Amino acid sequence: MSTCPRCDSKEAGKVSDSPVSGAWTIYACPVCFYTWRSSEDPKFTSSSLYNPDFKVRQADIPKAIHVPEIAQRK
Amino acid sequence: MAYRDFRDFLETLQKEGQLLTIEDEVMPEPDLGSAGRAISNVSDQSPALLFTNINGYRDARIAMNVIGSWPNHALMMGLPKTTPVKEQFFEFARRWENYPVPVRREASAPFQEVVVDGNVNLFDLLPLFRLNQYDGGFYIDKACVISRDPSDPEHFGKQNVGIYRIQVKGKDRLGIQPVPQHDIAIHLRHAEERGENLPVALAIGCEPVITTMAAAPIAYDQSEYEMAGAIQGEPYPVFTLPGTNLDVPWGAEIVLEGEILAGTREFEGPFGEFTGHYSGGRSMPVIQIHRVYHRKNPIFEHLYIGMPWTETDYMVGINTCVPIYKQLKDLFPDEIVAVNAMYTHGLVCIVSTKKRYGGFAKAVGMSAMATRHGLGYCKLVILVDETVDPFNLPQVMWALSTKMHPAHDVIILPDMSVLPLDPGSNPAGITHKMILDATTPVAPETRGHYSQPLDAPIATEKWEKIFQGLLNKQ
Repeated sequence: MSTCPRCDSKEAGKVSDSPVSGAWTIYACPVCFYTWRSSEDPKFTSSSLYNPDFKVRQADIPKAIHVPEIAQRK
Repeated sequence: MAYRDFRDFLETLQKEGQLLTIEDEVMPEPDLGSAGRAISNVSDQSPALLFTNINGYRDARIAMNVIGSWPNHALMMGLPKTTPVKEQFFEFARRWENYPVPVRREASAPFQEVVVDGNVNLFDLLPLFRLNQYDGGFYIDKACVISRDPSDPEHFGKQNVGIYRIQVKGKDRLGIQPVPQHDIAIHLRHAEERGENLPVALAIGCEPVITTMAAAPIAYDQSEYEMAGAIQGEPYPVFTLPGTNLDVPWGAEIVLEGEILAGTREFEGPFGEFTGHYSGGRSMPVIQIHRVYHRKNPIFEHLYIGMPWTETDYMVGINTCVPIYKQLKDLFPDEIVAVNAMYTHGLVCIVSTKKRYGGFAKAVGMSAMATRHGLGYCKLVILVDETVDPFNLPQVMWALSTKMHPAHDVIILPDMSVLPLDPGSNPAGITHKMILDATTPVAPETRGHYSQPLDAPIATEKWEKIFQGLLNKQ
């Protein structure tokens, strides 16, 4: 498991390796759904370097508004 | 003039000098997104881009900016690449009248060459990448998404083909943004009311006419395929995906088959949008992918989106102007001359109109706001005389600077509807709107000194044709 650079969850995991061996790995976070590639600049892959303006607080995720609203069963 | 498929159009772009193939190795990030941004910065005549050597991938090919310039848009319509924008508008509007052109049904499709059934991993199958630096993930942003209305599944016209932003959130799991104004949001509402998932197909790498119609605000019960047939001048070829009632573009490079999960919303975004701002994070519907079809060595099409102008603005330019024009023309057939709603997808709209009497142009402005697209856009409507070309911004600025009187010609309408992505709306989806009447006052509105307009010298049109001919030969 890896730390998500954006929401700091510890549940992120590998979802793909580069077809050319050793070039990069793709990770995804199942909490905030951030996805990143290991070859990106560290400011997009490191929790401590990620831009604070774009950090996601895990507590805010359930409060995100629904677009569109869920329709009521008829 | 119809293009057989995406590759056929790329070949035409190549022949016309409108395709740039980049064989040097590029990094998925930041090179692909940066190149997509840069090509629109340097020219409005720019070529499409085809990347063939992407770090870490073996055979991946990624096409961008495919209709990202006026020459490429003209070629999409089968016109000479030098066709002026205003002529492209009137030709598009003329062909629009040929709707509907019935589709041509095919028994098989090239994308059936490879089928991945179960154990789908989109991160392995597609050369996905981050477009703008704070996008929440890797997006598919130029797929034609096909769905049917579950409450009227046999109605071919209600089958929708639309382009929506799609975040790849897991190996076989996508997020989709159907804002309430979108047709697919109606399909989803009907499915959720029935407690059913909504089957969908995503077609990636289509020839550009269906992509253009998928991005056009046509009526709910109008078929994008039958309108594509009108625009390309011959029936549009479709293939019914086996085991479904979904008709997909026959020539697609890649098709993803799945369903939107009823009653599910999940965190999505942010995503850099056509407003030049990130969207913020919201809870959006989720698509579960069951099956993937693709050609051998498929071309993955993507587009850059961000602060205008980008490929997005060319893609939603004329196809947005024409439906507004048609709807205004239905109301005022003898007065409406042309509509330019190309600025931030029509948040600003310029209408060229004749006037019946004083106050008429202002009513045209309010009518523009009440069109289907205007309900979510047309935050500013500028009215100009029939002699002013709304596609010629220096002329529009001239009209504003000389015809508009701030005491009489500015109307503010409070708390109107707008798309929630408008970063100035507050709350999201609500904004004041404004009409600027830059037409010449006519009776009974007799004010100003407009009785001596300056006409061009009498042989000007002749000389325009001479110069155009000379320049086209160069």
